[in-house]
Amino acid sequence: MSRTRRDNLAGALMMVPASIVILVLVIVPMVIIARDSFAVSDPLGGNLGGFTLDNYAKLLDPVYAKTMGYSLGMAVLNAIVCTVVGYVVAYYIATRPARRQPLLLLLVIIPFLTDFLVRTFSWITLLGSGGPIIGLAKLVGIPATSLVPSQAAVVLSLLYAFLPVAVFPIYASMRAIDPSLREAAADLGAGWWQTHARVYVPLSASGLASSVMLTFVPTLGVFVIPVLLGGGKDPLVGNLIVTLFTEFRNEPLGAALSMVVLVLMLVTVALAGVVTRVVTKKRSA
Amino acid sequence: MDRVVAWASRLVFVFLYLPIAALIVYSLNASDVNYRWEGVSLRWYAELFADRMLLETLRTSLIVGLLAALLATALGFLSSMALVRFRVKGRGAFLGAILIPLIVPEIVLGVSLLTVFSTVGVPAGFLTLVLGHTVITLPLATLVQMGAMSSLDPSLPDAAADLGAGAFTTFRRVTFPLLRPAILAAFLLSFATSFGNIVISTFTSGVGTTTLPLRIYSQLKTGLTPELNALGTLLVVLTLAIILIVGVGQLRRILAGGPDQT
Repeated sequence: MSRTRRDNLAGALMMVPASIVILVLVIVPMVIIARDSFAVSDPLGGNLGGFTLDNYAKLLDPVYAKTMGYSLGMAVLNAIVCTVVGYVVAYYIATRPARRQPLLLLLVIIPFLTDFLVRTFSWITLLGSGGPIIGLAKLVGIPATSLVPSQAAVVLSLLYAFLPVAVFPIYASMRAIDPSLREAAADLGAGWWQTHARVYVPLSASGLASSVMLTFVPTLGVFVIPVLLGGGKDPLVGNLIVTLFTEFRNEPLGAALSMVVLVLMLVTVALAGVVTRVVTKKRSA
Repeated sequence: MDRVVAWASRLVFVFLYLPIAALIVYSLNASDVNYRWEGVSLRWYAELFADRMLLETLRTSLIVGLLAALLATALGFLSSMALVRFRVKGRGAFLGAILIPLIVPEIVLGVSLLTVFSTVGVPAGFLTLVLGHTVITLPLATLVQMGAMSSLDPSLPDAAADLGAGAFTTFRRVTFPLLRPAILAAFLLSFATSFGNIVISTFTSGVGTTTLPLRIYSQLKTGLTPELNALGTLLVVLTLAIILIVGVGQLRRILAGGPDQT
């Protein structure tokens, strides 16, 4: 069908509502935050306007730098663990018979769609005093009282929260891999590790890049898990942002911290794009 | 090594369900405190339905979730029509704009919304909650419906037109019925996303519009109660119901869309 002027007009009109929502509620607000991050703040944290780099400089104070360093470490750890475990699970699901795959994927989808807070606080029951794991430890003679709060509990529940978003993109890219490639690699004498290093990892590079993208920076923004499972002793950047905006009311400083998170995310997205492109190009060359 | 992978994966599946199992078992605990087991009872489910404060926040979350899901689904429907059916100019940029909330960390979206609402002077409440939740559910609602629309055979509406059906009749009798499962999926997944959201709500809820997750979170800060386990169990059941309605096939296409889908 040829495109008529009326069709073009109808299509353009249909874009208007969503465009307004995105412009007014996403783009303009982010521009304001970017502007505020350079604003001068009075001693109480009020926004005085003007231009200064003080807010960004203040983030280098040991108080903030420590949280940033700890958060980055946690985020890197969580991204790596999620992507490695996600790779293993995705490979397992993708190499099952086609009719069994939907069921296995469903087993990943159910926890993913379950309420985030429920997923988090169920770990308190599981690891807390009187829970099954402490009970088991006592039974075999290990004197333990409670694993909550602890850093181990934070790491476990971060993995629990982010694992599904790692599995989905890796599985999606692995499903596209022709299973006969595995047999071909084996016939050519490649072992398990070699088959993965030379065939599966390169061919699922885009999924692995998405996995890192969806787990790394989003971990920085988490604020519920450090409070509920870490006892609030080791805050993540997310906790800092919430505190700055809702308790200290220091908008310029909070805005600067938010901009750091945003820029980190953009860098990660760009890197993921580059990695995917380089690997794809190498393959076709 | 493949056997190691298989065993490791089975362990991961256990890991995924251990917390949910603990949640359900402990929701049946007769004891007043979560950490002591005193036999099976349904008392916490009864107490749940007598908790007025909790039911109030449940009502808020239901209203916000339904309105945000409705808005996101409608906006997503129009957007995907523009993108797929009319193939408008600049659709790459338009789709990119709609997907921004997927890329920008939620906490940054949250503080941005807080700032813009307080700048303009919109009081935090139902309006700000619904708008905030619409923003974060719009990408999903659009992608779900776009996927269904692009796999729709374009010759069907053409055939209807050839048989003399007008644009509206074609839409009502052909296009809409074919898209109904995707529209429902977009709505339910948007609702589930909004209903469980805590980050955006932290920055957009006001006095008297505390959502259920915000209430659960503030209760958890003072300690986990068996009542919350009962509530959590009911939320797991809600999730299962949504999954059942949307269907595994459709979910798989949405979350792990493979090469054989467009």
